[in-house]
Amino acid sequence: MLKYLIIPLADDSVSFCHYERGNKSDRLIDMETLKNAIFWAMTENLNVQFVYPDKEIPSAYKAIVETIDHAKIVGSHCEDKVLTDEADIVVFDGWNDLDTFKCQSGKSYVVRTDKADLFDNADVIKSLFPKLDRLVVVITDIDKFQESDFQKYEALLNAMIPIIKEEYGKGHSLHFNLLTDRMFLDKMNNCNAGDETITLAPDGKFYICPAFYLDGSKTVGDPVTGLDIKNRQLYRLDHAPICRKCDAWQCRRCVWLNRKTTLEVNTPGHEQCVVAHIERNASRRLLDEIRTLGEFLPEKEIKEIDYLDPFEIIKQ
Amino acid sequence: MLFKQSESIWQAQQTKNITFIVTKDCQLACKYCYLVGKNSHERMSWPIAKASIDYILSHSYEFPEKSVIWDFIGGEPFLEIDLIDKICDYIKSELYRLNHPWFDSYRFSITTNGINYNNDKVQNFITKNLHHLSITITIDGTKKKHDLNRIWKGEGKEKGSYEDVVKNLPLWLSQFPDSSTKVTISSDDIPYICESVLHIYSLGVKSVNINVVFENAWKHGDDKRFEKQLLRLADEVIDRNYYKEYYCSFFAESLGKPLDLEKDNQNWCGAGKMMSIDAAGNFYPCTRFAAYSLREKKPIIIGNVNDGIDSNKLRPFLTLDRTTQSPQKCIDCEVASGCAWCQGENYDAADTDTIYQRSTAICKMHKARVRANNYYWNKLFRKLELEGRREEYNATHKKQTEKPC
Repeated sequence: MLKYLIIPLADDSVSFCHYERGNKSDRLIDMETLKNAIFWAMTENLNVQFVYPDKEIPSAYKAIVETIDHAKIVGSHCEDKVLTDEADIVVFDGWNDLDTFKCQSGKSYVVRTDKADLFDNADVIKSLFPKLDRLVVVITDIDKFQESDFQKYEALLNAMIPIIKEEYGKGHSLHFNLLTDRMFLDKMNNCNAGDETITLAPDGKFYICPAFYLDGSKTVGDPVTGLDIKNRQLYRLDHAPICRKCDAWQCRRCVWLNRKTTLEVNTPGHEQCVVAHIERNASRRLLDEIRTLGEFLPEKEIKEIDYLDPFEIIKQ
Repeated sequence: MLFKQSESIWQAQQTKNITFIVTKDCQLACKYCYLVGKNSHERMSWPIAKASIDYILSHSYEFPEKSVIWDFIGGEPFLEIDLIDKICDYIKSELYRLNHPWFDSYRFSITTNGINYNNDKVQNFITKNLHHLSITITIDGTKKKHDLNRIWKGEGKEKGSYEDVVKNLPLWLSQFPDSSTKVTISSDDIPYICESVLHIYSLGVKSVNINVVFENAWKHGDDKRFEKQLLRLADEVIDRNYYKEYYCSFFAESLGKPLDLEKDNQNWCGAGKMMSIDAAGNFYPCTRFAAYSLREKKPIIIGNVNDGIDSNKLRPFLTLDRTTQSPQKCIDCEVASGCAWCQGENYDAADTDTIYQRSTAICKMHKARVRANNYYWNKLFRKLELEGRREEYNATHKKQTEKPC
């Protein structure tokens, strides 16, 4: 069931996920289209998330945006500093600006990073934990992970465990998506683009997510004629043969990345599965560590498993 | 009706099927042919063939099956008999040199239109490889039925190929006495099904693998006409006692039963478990995913001779199951067993670029087949009971099951 509508306000709106920000145009969404989209979201009872470009949008747009309750996703380099302060989610491309950025409590910060930068910035990440309440790291080149990267990734997460434990010991319930999300979950909690989330792009058409718009994929309707997602069932968990047997519930399960690596939106590539399981297993260790401090999430259990890619179990 | 023991038992499920698309050319232009991109310039070169074999034999962990069938397909594969001969010689010498597990567990398989069967080069190849070779000659039935679709390529008046093929059948059957032939049924062929199967039997071919085309090419009323033909065939097979020695894949005891959501959830098609290689050295999950087989969609390439197999591209094929790709009407269908599908056709006909949308173009045809099949077994078993030979039949005939792709 559809719950969220993402509206990138311009072709070069900030990327908050695996895909690269659009760089071919800075076209803003047409104002009538924006109004229609907001009206459609209201009639469909959807939560709206506006995704902003770095350039300040005209005041007429701001007025339209404020006609509906919404969340704001803004890049750290946005010219509109008032907007950045008001943002629900601030997105950083890389680790460079984080140490000087004035972070606010209760807000989510997304860092997009490639694997090499991630491995090089373990100390930066650790230094952020006392300052932030929610840090979301998006690895932009998961599909390029090699065996040696998996080992480095596991080592990196293991190195984070004592620091996060320390924060919890101090009563700071830090959320760090790669390690704490899985501890709190009871079921899959994925991106769900195409199932629960849909995107209205600046061209006035619906797409599965912003990445599908930027890579030239076919539209799936518009606010006037309505949504028309062919084979919509394939975006649901029950039609994903690997994922429905998986308990790496924190996995982003990115359908765009799925299609890029396996050509099917319902099938993740090996790298996405292994990365998610390294996170899952590290979460298990973190849970055990936090519990040495006292009772913590007593009803939760993350079982020990002997595989990193559920495809192996299905094949058997 | 005879059970096809030899093919189904030989290393079933443990055999890798590797297909060389040696040419996209053919002397014929069969009207029902799914190959939309046939041409005379895409011929496999020896360097590509050799590189493919070298890759496969040096990556045993990607090919863990106990046995292998090296398949040669076209177009018409015997147009490239020199290449096929060279490939087979090289495979044999490399299997020996590498002490490869497939050394004594391989077969060569060729499906041909039969026109060049008596050619000297072809015959020399057969003599050399006879004990590791299967050859299927496609004959569609009576001259009228065969020539309806299987016509020579070229401009001008249509010319059927029946006479050019049937002349080679005695030689073929003398070399491969247990051979079967493959018959494809499209809408226009329906009136000739019964007489065609009986005609093939009369030519000495005891086993007929027959299927309707998977494409959405059926007309209103075809199912009724199809059922009528199968009922006639059932009467002929039983009344004339063909069931004792002859086989036709239209009739199977396992056909037309409901399927369990969990126990019977396997994919029908073997795409992804097999591999095809084209003239450019690209690897495909099956020949049906090569460009020349696809009307609407881009090919699905899972690797090539230089970069190897992209295992991520295989994951959707290897995790595909029946229920995930089937619409609800198929899941709920009470006569679902034996209803086949072709993954390549599913992909080509799908609303999006997916192999997870099952085409139901043959739904009515399958149901017609089920009704005729029910009639066949009821009639046969009653006859056997009245003759007091039911137990004898059960003891001598294995329960027939559908043979998936």
